[in-house]
Amino acid sequence: MKIAMAVQRRHRVLMVSDFFYPNFGGVENHLYYLSQCLLELGHKVVVMTHAYGTRTGVRYMTGGLKVYYVPWKPFLMQNTLPTIYGTFPIVRTILIREKISVVHGHQAFSTLCHEALMHARIMGYKVVFTDHSLYGFADVGSIHMNKVLQFTLSDVNQAICVSHTSKENTVLRSGLPPEKVFMIPNAVDAAMFKPAETRLSREEIVIVVISRLVYRKGADLLVEVIPEVCRLYPNVRFIIGGDGPKRVRLEEMREKNSLQDRVEMLGAVPHVQVRSVLIRGHIFLNSSLTEAFCIAILEAACCGLLTVSTRVGGVPEVLPEDIIVLAEPVPNDMVQAIGKAIRLLPKIDPQVMHDRMKSLYSWHDVARRTELVYDCALSCSDENLLVRLSRYFACGVWAGKLFCLVMTLDYLLWHLLELWQPSKDIEEVPDIASESLHEEMPWSVETEAI
Amino acid sequence: MSEKPISSRKYTYIHDEDDTGFQSIDSHHIMVPKSRSRQFLLYSSFLVLMAHVCSLLLGKEEWRIVFPWNSLTFVILAAALHLRSIEKESVLIMPTFGVQLETHYRSGRICRRFIPISKILKPVLNECVTPTTCYWSLVLILRGDKELTLVFQELQPPLEMLVSVWKALCTAVDGDTTTDCGMEVDFRASIL
Repeated sequence: MKIAMAVQRRHRVLMVSDFFYPNFGGVENHLYYLSQCLLELGHKVVVMTHAYGTRTGVRYMTGGLKVYYVPWKPFLMQNTLPTIYGTFPIVRTILIREKISVVHGHQAFSTLCHEALMHARIMGYKVVFTDHSLYGFADVGSIHMNKVLQFTLSDVNQAICVSHTSKENTVLRSGLPPEKVFMIPNAVDAAMFKPAETRLSREEIVIVVISRLVYRKGADLLVEVIPEVCRLYPNVRFIIGGDGPKRVRLEEMREKNSLQDRVEMLGAVPHVQVRSVLIRGHIFLNSSLTEAFCIAILEAACCGLLTVSTRVGGVPEVLPEDIIVLAEPVPNDMVQAIGKAIRLLPKIDPQVMHDRMKSLYSWHDVARRTELVYDCALSCSDENLLVRLSRYFACGVWAGKLFCLVMTLDYLLWHLLELWQPSKDIEEVPDIASESLHEEMPWSVETEAI
Repeated sequence: MSEKPISSRKYTYIHDEDDTGFQSIDSHHIMVPKSRSRQFLLYSSFLVLMAHVCSLLLGKEEWRIVFPWNSLTFVILAAALHLRSIEKESVLIMPTFGVQLETHYRSGRICRRFIPISKILKPVLNECVTPTTCYWSLVLILRGDKELTLVFQELQPPLEMLVSVWKALCTAVDGDTTTDCGMEVDFRASIL
């Protein structure tokens, strides 16, 4: 049976998020690596984010990745001030001048993402959304956040989640049909996270913790677990990297139990130095109370560390069962899990673990799967405004009417902008030819179908 | 010797090369056509506004004091508009000597700035991003200057016109006929 290979369709993607470099984090990393791999596949990628301090305007990153740092000041936790219609002119200008075919928004907590997706949908562009985090249902903040998400996802073409748990969470929060949601996990840069050249001796077991020391990441659990483990296993040492409001509690725990020589606090660790901290240890401890995916344990496994983690969110989906020990987010269970991990250590070969992670996770695979999502989004039929408004109307008794009003005003604003600055007056940007785009891709050749 | 002018909706670009004098001067002009309908609309809307204000105040006794002030405001606004109205912006390139940037206003006022050729590091086509829009501009990077110098201070001509001026500036600054800026950019094919 011969399989027909379609001609590689070259997409022009606009990635939108409030979270991008020079800020550092999981979403930023994901955006950058995904963009680079998509560029290598031959697509054009443009990133839109808000300005960071004096960094405004257009910047070019590796591989010709164009980044628009739009001069909207962030107001709360790196988010742009939500004005609903304020970003329409600049989003419209960028969509037209870059000849974008699909808009890809990231992170439910990004106001710029929600606004850009709304404007892109009104203008008729195909839209994809990726959710990176898990959210609750009960507290006031989550309720409002979920309503905003429901608004955005009412009209999105496709959605991507980073784990099956995250997919379930997103579908429940937004009411999106599950068939529209794809699951594409994050990946890790295996070239950056390699095990230590020489294997560490097992006379002293070193347990590494690298995370933000906040409630959500289970810093309070660490305060209970560390003294107990130090008492039960005299040859165990801890290295804690990271900073946050809970650091004070950990320092107090250290003082109270006289563990200054057994617990080393490094403070904030820049991402570029994370590998050098990881290779100092045998075991990686993750005590998060909630995680959609958890790239940290992936990075640790890539460096050859055995992982001990809380069984929350998407964590059980990340690593194979033989290289992770899971525990309930309860101090006793975690102490037992650490004991089990110490007994498992002799069977672990860091290099074998690294090679396995390299084969299981790669950003090129993520890019190829994302490309399929873009193909699906582009093959969705165009719907007129009335059909789309009916979907918004179904969002709630009061919310539905409000959403319809917002979209109608947006539609009118779009036509006003067309009169004020017609699309033919917006100059399209010429494509700057770079070497990688000239290389012929092996799968871009059309073969016959039978 | 002049090339055929390029016109867009708002601007006209004229390129002149004057070889008659001691040294050849390469002139590039961006003209703003006088839009009579725009001016008429602007002035008449001001008249209507002032007339309305006057009619409101005519019922009161203080109109004798208010009316002159209204007229004065109108005169000042109209004068400011007229003074700021631009006729054309020019770039005169004198090879091996320097570049003169000129702004000609309709009132007759001309703003000139001369930049010696040795001070120019590179002419650059820059994308300016504002909170509401993004447009191309031609700037000069000057030695010892942290700020970029705009070639066209007031006008925002289209990319096609900027490219011609940019190529001429590159030639003058580099001192040779090739315009190599490290990347192949096929502007014409993409625009036309």
